[in-house]
Amino acid sequence: MALRNDRAVQAAREIELREIEDGYTLVGGPEESVTEQHDTDRIPEVDVDQEMLSGTGEDPESWLMYGGNYEQHRATPADTITPENVSDLELEYEMSVGTGSSMEGTPIVIPGDPPVMYQTNGPNHMKAIDPREGEVLWSYTYAPPIGVELCCDDNNRGAAVLGDKVYMTTLDSGVVALDRYTGEEVWYTQTADHEVGYSATWAPVIHDGTIYTGSAGGEYGVIGFIAALDAESGEIQWRQHTLPEDEWVGESRTHGCGTSWMTPTIDEERGVLHSPVANPGPDFDGTVRPGPNFPTCGTITMNLEDGETEWGFQSSPHDVWDYDAAAPRVLLRDVEVEDGSMDMVVGSDKAGWVYMMDAESGKLHERSEEICQHINMWEMIPHISADERIPFVPGAPGGNDWQPPSYNPATGLVYVIHQNFPQDLYWRYEEYSEGNPYWGGGLDDPATEFPDEWNESITAFAAVDPATGERVWRDWIESEDRFYMWGGSMSTATGLVFNGTQNGNLVAYDGENGERLWEHEFDVPISASPMSWYDPGEEKQYVAVQVGGSGWLRQGTRGDTLAVFSLEA
Amino acid sequence: MAQVSTAADMTVAEQRDLATTLGVDTPGDGAITWERLAGQIEARSDSTFASRGDAIRADLARRLDRELLEREREAIADEIGRLPTVRDAGVPDEPHGLYTAVAEPGWRLYDHLLEVGFFESLDENLPRFTAAHVETTARELILADPLSSALDDAGFDESEKTALLVDVTNNDERLARWVPSNQIPAGVEFETDTIPPLHQRAMGGALLWIQGLDRHLWQNEVLLTDEILDAAVRYVKAMLGGLFVSATAACDLAGEERVTDEQLTAAFTAGSAVQIVSQEELLHTVFYITDEMRAPSELR
Repeated sequence: MALRNDRAVQAAREIELREIEDGYTLVGGPEESVTEQHDTDRIPEVDVDQEMLSGTGEDPESWLMYGGNYEQHRATPADTITPENVSDLELEYEMSVGTGSSMEGTPIVIPGDPPVMYQTNGPNHMKAIDPREGEVLWSYTYAPPIGVELCCDDNNRGAAVLGDKVYMTTLDSGVVALDRYTGEEVWYTQTADHEVGYSATWAPVIHDGTIYTGSAGGEYGVIGFIAALDAESGEIQWRQHTLPEDEWVGESRTHGCGTSWMTPTIDEERGVLHSPVANPGPDFDGTVRPGPNFPTCGTITMNLEDGETEWGFQSSPHDVWDYDAAAPRVLLRDVEVEDGSMDMVVGSDKAGWVYMMDAESGKLHERSEEICQHINMWEMIPHISADERIPFVPGAPGGNDWQPPSYNPATGLVYVIHQNFPQDLYWRYEEYSEGNPYWGGGLDDPATEFPDEWNESITAFAAVDPATGERVWRDWIESEDRFYMWGGSMSTATGLVFNGTQNGNLVAYDGENGERLWEHEFDVPISASPMSWYDPGEEKQYVAVQVGGSGWLRQGTRGDTLAVFSLEA
Repeated sequence: MAQVSTAADMTVAEQRDLATTLGVDTPGDGAITWERLAGQIEARSDSTFASRGDAIRADLARRLDRELLEREREAIADEIGRLPTVRDAGVPDEPHGLYTAVAEPGWRLYDHLLEVGFFESLDENLPRFTAAHVETTARELILADPLSSALDDAGFDESEKTALLVDVTNNDERLARWVPSNQIPAGVEFETDTIPPLHQRAMGGALLWIQGLDRHLWQNEVLLTDEILDAAVRYVKAMLGGLFVSATAACDLAGEERVTDEQLTAAFTAGSAVQIVSQEELLHTVFYITDEMRAPSELR
């Protein structure tokens, strides 16, 4: 069936992302969610169990969760593609997803004959795909309610799977469960009220029958939380705020934000999750929320059983630059350090460094050498003058915004994407007057004047040694259109690292030294993170990436493509 | 034992700015001190200051627990005196304990003030920070013997007391960013009802920063230098100094009434101002650790 006759695709196309004063909202679209079935009989009925989820990082034939494994290494154990033969990697096919909206997702693949890919993109559209042929088996569009407020596009970054169901978060701060064999809706649970500003864009993660999902809305004065839902029924098991009451002055916590808007990392051995924590609220006026605003702009570790906080670490305490931590935390086991080995949580943050923290205690093992430049950072406090502006790097997109890092087991290095662009943040001395906005400032992108020290490269893609924090190599990226690099990377067991650029290039790097070994050029930016699997039926290793511009600033030209590359074993 | 001085980074230019603000001649010889200023400025009759202090007194005098206030005020002074020992301990050996203990009497005082509606009363009766209000505050403070001698007793020498004055007078624009919660209008991007009173934010924020030092210093040990640790106790002392001024005035309000209404207004204004300025300085010198500030990595 052609996409033009696919009612779910058409429904997604009819949902218009409209820019409003404080962000975006959705207009139009279906009154009820729509499923379109194509060839559902082709989906092998093999339920995904916990053993498969726990082992997916070791299984070259599967990619069962957003981060590639619970530790979010985004590394495939498939070893067909190597530095020696990557030049032979060829485009297998490009398929249009048909929706023409945000393309920030990472597909998941369930092994079988054929394997089945579940792919999502904005606005809340999911497809089951036969990835051998690039054929749609069913498609689904969630019907978001009127009035959803979105800070940053209509993103959906991926699906989660367990048993006979596949799951995605919804833009109205919900989670929807679908029958993965038919695409039919099974249950829907809203975790918070979208009318007060909550939303959801990330892929959830499932462990031991429980779905873990976070919260977005940090520009709307919400209070952040992480929730656990029963995967079978959708019932909320617990919902814990990220902000401890005794770390905030009075009621300032009520709208203190601290959302958690990317996929949590699961530490199965410790029974905890590690999650980034976003900015405090209001964004730019710290005077109404004194103190460190713990644990905003950092990392939080919660017990899986009840959500109790074990530790938190801040990379930008009392933040007024929107340096929220968003990129998924990377959990590394048994890293060899001076006095033995240790488990680490790696946080790559907007502050422009990579933080290696002891997974047990949250104590900093080391902070990396700088990834992006640091120019006039953390200056202009106190806020004193309407006229005084200092262009600073990293700007509000970081450093590392949400783009997920990858860890390569062959090199032992972590690969991160940091933006490197000057912005002006100005604080106005405002006489308060009834009815006028009081934001205490605003953001100019780009800066009105570029600092002399700026190297004119808008992004850095870099390799970091987690044991020492050494920046082993760094590839500076320029962009004629000044688009930000908006997707994350993927590593392979053979030492390769794949990364898509804002210039439309999917690049395979030699992870050891940063040499570009292979590239494929698209005509629009890549804003998504690649993934890979091996199909024994075809005896090929595949690499898939979504293509199209996205993001909250200068998002780049939209695209509509799922591209799949392959190499025969 | 370490010396902890809040005046360690006070410059001559800052002292001259202070003198200029107060209209005092600054001959080239010798430093500007509290005592010297007290000898040169004259009291100004400011009926507004008096009426504000009178309103606060009328509102709060009978609600305050004098015994508790005096006990915790003494305990705060003890913690100020203990700071050299805290500095000698270096990096806390766990994420809570060393600095948490320093903040404890302050929290007990804060809880009581919160309970009796102290902070709401100050928001109700004190204006925003303006240049004129700040200048009069400094003038009244300097002439307030009970407050000056209380700071002496708490271990602030002449230069340190002067540094507290500098914090107040030289930062009027920066202090103006901190607005009483009842002057933030409805219709802003956040719900104004949830914003704590200004003076609660000043004191509660200062205490959160002090207690947060345990976790921050312990977690970030690999980044720390002696300069950062020195700055930590220096600004803790300054914050506690501001808190002590407020506590001293609150004690007086609850009992002795040695402080005039004008001085009461000045003490609460100055106490909060010092706590605000010092917590912002602590943030910059201790929490925002750039590569230029950090200790060299021992791993690379």
